[in-house]
Amino acid sequence: MGELAVDKHVQYILSVEKRKDSFESVVMDHLRMNGAYWGLTTLDLLGKLDTVDADEVISWIMKCQHESGGFSGNIGHDPHILYTVSAVQVLALFNKLDVLDIDKVATYITGLQNEDGSFSGDIWGEVDTRFSYIAICCLSILRCLDRINVEKAVNYILSCKNLDGGFGCTPGGESHAGQIFCCVGALAITGSLHHVDKDLLGWWLCERQVKSGGLNGRPEKLPDVCYSWWVLTSLIMIDRVHWIDKEKLVKFILNCQDVENGGISDRPDDAVDVFHTYFGVAGLSLLEYPGLKAIDPAYALPVDVINRIFFSR
Amino acid sequence: MYRSSFFSFVFFFDFRGKQTKRQNSELEIEKMNENSLDEEGAMDLLNQLEAILESDPLIDEVGFIHPSQFVMLSKECCESSDSSEDGAFRPRDTKFWNRDHKLGISTEVLLPLCKAAKSAFMDVMKQYKTHSSLSDNKHEDENIMFGSLSCLSFESEVMKHSRALLLLSCDFGTAWNSRKLVVSKKQQMSMFMDELLLSALVLSYSPKSEQAWSHRRWIIKMIAGKYSTLQDIIANESELVEKIAERSKMNYRAWNHRCWLVSYMTRGQMLHEIKKSRDWAGLHVADNSCFHYRRRLMLGILENSFCKQEGDNSSYDVENYQVVKEELDLNEVLIKRYIGREALWLHRRYLSLCLIRHLTTMHGTCCHSEQKTSMDNEINKFLDNESCLLNSCSTIQDMEFEDFKAQAMYSAIYFLWLIKQIPQFREIELQVKLKAGNLKSILHKTCPERSFLWDFLDLNGF
Repeated sequence: MGELAVDKHVQYILSVEKRKDSFESVVMDHLRMNGAYWGLTTLDLLGKLDTVDADEVISWIMKCQHESGGFSGNIGHDPHILYTVSAVQVLALFNKLDVLDIDKVATYITGLQNEDGSFSGDIWGEVDTRFSYIAICCLSILRCLDRINVEKAVNYILSCKNLDGGFGCTPGGESHAGQIFCCVGALAITGSLHHVDKDLLGWWLCERQVKSGGLNGRPEKLPDVCYSWWVLTSLIMIDRVHWIDKEKLVKFILNCQDVENGGISDRPDDAVDVFHTYFGVAGLSLLEYPGLKAIDPAYALPVDVINRIFFSR
Repeated sequence: MYRSSFFSFVFFFDFRGKQTKRQNSELEIEKMNENSLDEEGAMDLLNQLEAILESDPLIDEVGFIHPSQFVMLSKECCESSDSSEDGAFRPRDTKFWNRDHKLGISTEVLLPLCKAAKSAFMDVMKQYKTHSSLSDNKHEDENIMFGSLSCLSFESEVMKHSRALLLLSCDFGTAWNSRKLVVSKKQQMSMFMDELLLSALVLSYSPKSEQAWSHRRWIIKMIAGKYSTLQDIIANESELVEKIAERSKMNYRAWNHRCWLVSYMTRGQMLHEIKKSRDWAGLHVADNSCFHYRRRLMLGILENSFCKQEGDNSSYDVENYQVVKEELDLNEVLIKRYIGREALWLHRRYLSLCLIRHLTTMHGTCCHSEQKTSMDNEINKFLDNESCLLNSCSTIQDMEFEDFKAQAMYSAIYFLWLIKQIPQFREIELQVKLKAGNLKSILHKTCPERSFLWDFLDLNGF
């Protein structure tokens, strides 16, 4: 198993950008903005963000902004809140939020709030608690959370709570660790965690740990490195992280590394990708693995970046 | 002859890193072949694909086939087909395979085809947008003279290329959006129905495609009540989810879609759906999503009776109680038949809570002491039953088998959960005669790592 192969992972992430001619990269092209966030945040956690050309990244990001204020996954695509948050997060990583017309981005996000407090992902109207989290996280980073109706937004999220303590996409939707992260994160940012039954939710979340030490996202599913993030952050935010075996989880994540070529996969011996590489490294950061920068569980950005945003002005 | 899962033997790529390292290296080899195709050759491939899609609008399944499997398919078909079959199948064609409304695409041409479809789509979209913004500025009658024809042709090009692209790259959001844009302008029932077909086709090769599911919901919201009755739509969608769930286990997106439908259902439909999905649930006991769907239906049924104004609430009470009770009985049968299934035990937590809540709220509203006593009896009967269940499940019959250990663990944790959630369980004398010793010792034996649950409940008095 060994240790975290830091240099290999850095190399892997830098190489992903260059490998543009595979079928996989062509079908992922539309969400390059998310890819940029996953890759660059990982590099920052590993202390290697300076290996990329910030100006190049930023000018590409700004080319993805639509006249509505939202960002698309790549140049020429339609804007969506999913890519808008990644754009804002990457700019925050580089300490370049000042290149943004903040009012314009905030107007885009504010315009997506619905009457019942929920958020649509884009003009076509699909509603999901993921979009609630993104709107709240994004506006908070831009320091204009007051632009939306926070009370209604919180009430909508609470309406998606299930009897098992978890949360789904919409009212009555099945509890899922990814959705739980979004809902708990949004409640944490808005100071509304008192609405959560922490013991009940913590119980469900700690039952996600399986024998191998890995975490799954729902009952009866196989463990997957990405849930190290979704489940761990939620447990940390509700102060129940001592309910899982952290050591076993560290081992599980390290076992999912490709120690030859770098990168982390969902489970041992599967093919690596940048998505799981990010969640693996971020998970290890939450588990206080030595040599990694600390990451904020609600904003999904390094703690020093968050401190810079909220405490330096 | 061919069932809906015709292509299921072909390996499907899941683009979120689920392929194994071996499959990845196979892709690498194919890539080398693909690169030999030039741009013109790629456009030619795209034209071929679009021609097939045009000629057979009823294609209901698409799959990506490895060249070696192509040979196998061709052989099989030559043997089984007689000369009177339709001519859609071309034995010499090794890029596409189309027969009985099934479409196979060779993995060898995926990359060039996808690139060609993407560039064709992006080009026509750019032209279409420029054109629309120009014609927005013109007068209406000018529009009719100059604009309409080319607008129509742009629209059909957008539809043609986006369809091909989505069959190759299912989560290409901008392509789905372009179709929404065109069909919302036209407002034609046939076009809306075509969108449902396309979405189903994409789901046939990528059953987890979030965009394809979301597109369906958008279409349904557009047509609901206008062209088609909600009843028919719900029935169709339910059936589709069940078909897909059969091939794609624990598919969150699919079941989430079915849960979304519940808010549009009448009480009668909810009761019908509960009945309809019962057998499926019994055959897929690890599929938590199906049980969640049943929970969602039950919640709908229970809530629905609260919304009703006074009057004949009492008849619903009996029916509601019946629904919960039957589900509890089914669950117990399944728990005893399939040893150590997490989803079944989690489902039971929910059901117990439902039953107790139901009984206690009825208890609260009952004025006749006779009814009160019978409610008390019901609660006691339930508590007894659960004690018996714990007793029979917590005995580890064979330490060799993980399943028995899991069963003991789930049953003990289920019991702890009841104690936390339902006060009545605390009151009852539960040091009951457990054959396997007390709750604490079962927990220690089966899941020492969760023993904190015991401490946190502060049950030392037990």
